[in-house]
Amino acid sequence: MNRILRIALRDFVATAGTKGFIIGLLSTPVIGAVLLVLGPRLLLDRDYQIEGEYAVVDPTGFVLPEMERVLDPEMISQRRLEEFRRGLDRAPEFAQDIAESTLRQSMDEALGPAPEIRLAALPADTDIEAKKAWLNEESDGLRHTALIVIHQNAVHASGPESGLGAYDLYVPSGLDDRDLDFIHDTVREAILNARVSEQSLDRAVIDSLTRVRRQGSTTVSPDAERQTVGGFNFILPVVFMMLLFIGIMTGGQIMLTSMIEEKSSRVVEVLLSAVSPMELMAGKLIGSVALSLVSMGLYVVLGLAVLSFFSLFDLLDLWLILYLLIFFLIGFFVIGSLMLAVGASVNTINEAGQLQTPLMLVLMLPLFIWPAVSRNPNSMLAVVMSHLPPINSFGMLVRMTSSQPPPWWEVWLSIGIGVASVFGAVWVASKIFRIGLLMYGKPPNLRTLFRWVRDA
Amino acid sequence: MEAAIQLTGVTKTFGKTTAVDNLDLEVPSGGLYGFIGPNGAGKTTSIRMILSILFPDSGAISVLGRSSALDAKDRIGYLPEERGVYKKMRVRAFLRYIARLKGHNGSGLDDGISEWLERVGLPGISSKRLEELSRGMSQKIQFVSAVIHKPDLLILDEPFSGLDPISVRTLRELILEEHSRGATVVFSTHVMPQAEEICEQVVMIHKGKKVLDEAVAVIRSQYDPRAIQFEPLDPGADTATLVSIPEIERLDSKDRGVEIILREGADPTAVMHRLIDTVPAARIELSRPRLEDLFMELIADDTPEGEEDRLRAELRNAGAKGGAG
Repeated sequence: MNRILRIALRDFVATAGTKGFIIGLLSTPVIGAVLLVLGPRLLLDRDYQIEGEYAVVDPTGFVLPEMERVLDPEMISQRRLEEFRRGLDRAPEFAQDIAESTLRQSMDEALGPAPEIRLAALPADTDIEAKKAWLNEESDGLRHTALIVIHQNAVHASGPESGLGAYDLYVPSGLDDRDLDFIHDTVREAILNARVSEQSLDRAVIDSLTRVRRQGSTTVSPDAERQTVGGFNFILPVVFMMLLFIGIMTGGQIMLTSMIEEKSSRVVEVLLSAVSPMELMAGKLIGSVALSLVSMGLYVVLGLAVLSFFSLFDLLDLWLILYLLIFFLIGFFVIGSLMLAVGASVNTINEAGQLQTPLMLVLMLPLFIWPAVSRNPNSMLAVVMSHLPPINSFGMLVRMTSSQPPPWWEVWLSIGIGVASVFGAVWVASKIFRIGLLMYGKPPNLRTLFRWVRDA
Repeated sequence: MEAAIQLTGVTKTFGKTTAVDNLDLEVPSGGLYGFIGPNGAGKTTSIRMILSILFPDSGAISVLGRSSALDAKDRIGYLPEERGVYKKMRVRAFLRYIARLKGHNGSGLDDGISEWLERVGLPGISSKRLEELSRGMSQKIQFVSAVIHKPDLLILDEPFSGLDPISVRTLRELILEEHSRGATVVFSTHVMPQAEEICEQVVMIHKGKKVLDEAVAVIRSQYDPRAIQFEPLDPGADTATLVSIPEIERLDSKDRGVEIILREGADPTAVMHRLIDTVPAARIELSRPRLEDLFMELIADDTPEGEEDRLRAELRNAGAKGGAG
């Protein structure tokens, strides 16, 4: 075994055997799974109780009775059921099956307890300005949450040419958005019912005529066809980009800290008596890339297992995993070698922060602009991002996993640019590395690093 | 004899500072050389250039017959001044790792490690983590890591720095054993008595320039002894009367007697006879020339006033860090 591999092996074993690495490796998927399971439950509004007293001025005389009907607990339950079913139509098939079998319970869990509303009818000649104060009055029962003034022409138009009116709504300060939405929905539903009734029409008939159930689509590929999985094409670029980011950051940070530790513990000069700076750098890069590949490999296998469990395995083009590997290696060697150079130039992790910041900003850039690239994979921004080192790995991978992948020649052009940038970055890093290794004392600034590159 | 190290006109600058200035040096194979000079003289920079850790701005370097130490690293053992270990590694694993990096093929390596641990007085610690060892123990392990692969050339940068007197003695014996084995040994120190005790030849460096390159035996024979250590038989005897002897320049009081400094050109033998005649002696001894004095003499023209005492103190001993032992 040559010296480079020996250094790589020592670095790999020294890190892979630590509790910190193993915990970090396993905690990411565990945290992901926990968020996936608990996240939606934590975000649901099921504990929120909509309640309050609404004061209603209804000069038409038709809307208030309809509001009473709309707010009848049985009617509310019916409406919520309909709403829930419409929502379910968009959910994956397996989720629909589970939810349908326990419809009421699922709905209650999803939407929370039924609203508790009391209506107070006000005469048509109520002084609205004076009544507004009622909204902020203390109440020993339900809170005063709405003063609703139905327009005179809300149900019947005042003339053949004029349109229908609506309502004015006054609410107290600090009212929750969910209460506000519920008030609007309730008044709207009541006015609709009143109008339909006054036209001697049947609301149930109108509802059934205007409802078209959303059907699942079927994705047809050259080899097979299957039910379309909504959101897969949206999630795929995110997953690939995060894998790339985690892979590069894992190895890069480990390398940076181990380099600083070797330098501050003065072991580096012992090593330099046995190997050249380039051998040391190459060994450390290979050791860290192996660590990153272990973590990425684990996450890829877990991801494939999840796809397989939900019978979605065939949705993924397995060639993408090969390209993930290629672009990871490019991204790692570009960013990683520069991080290693930073580690070699400083004496403490705090000193590394200043020099590391530009690298981190560059690395974060794709995380902010990937949605634009994913939605418009052939835009100018996408093309530039997928060819501009050192973020081309991210850009191209996002485009390749989008709905409109780029032509093969663009992919290989990006790989070619990436490989050239690897040589460039390693060349620059090796210059800084060689000088920085034996520099102690005041940490260098960016200008000093440029001078090292020029002079070395 | 083939040169183990040859430097020709080597110069190295860092920014505006010239660390090594046109240095010529030849260390023959099997030699035992001391690089001496105060801190900042350019010793470590020279050693790093010899090892190809740094590269000279100009000049040529040859190590073990190669134009670069990179081609002969497996034959070189190096103990840097700024040295450390992987604290989390175990002793045996660390020594194995360094030995394998140094090109050891692994055969008999474990036995060799055990043998060396015995020799440095640290048997039974091979499975301990390096962070569990004391500083002195750790330094011994570092020395072992420099010699475990039986190098032809052993370069030690301030090897005694930070060691207690007993460890200094152990290390000195080990260095001499390596030399007896046939290895060329070069070590740097800013503590002159250490160099005097071990070296065959010393190279003195000051401000990046070589000011002396001479065998210790030659130095002793060439430079006039001008000091006599004198202890009277009667501790209460008045030694001040000795100053009446015309060849004596001055007397410096010592613990039990005086150090007598002779005038230039005085015959020490004649003076010693007259001393005994004047005050009966318990001990009278001609002082050998000290490298420290020689060094100070050589750089006198180049040393600002007031700097001399500081340099002398630095060269005389290692202070709290540990002495010559």
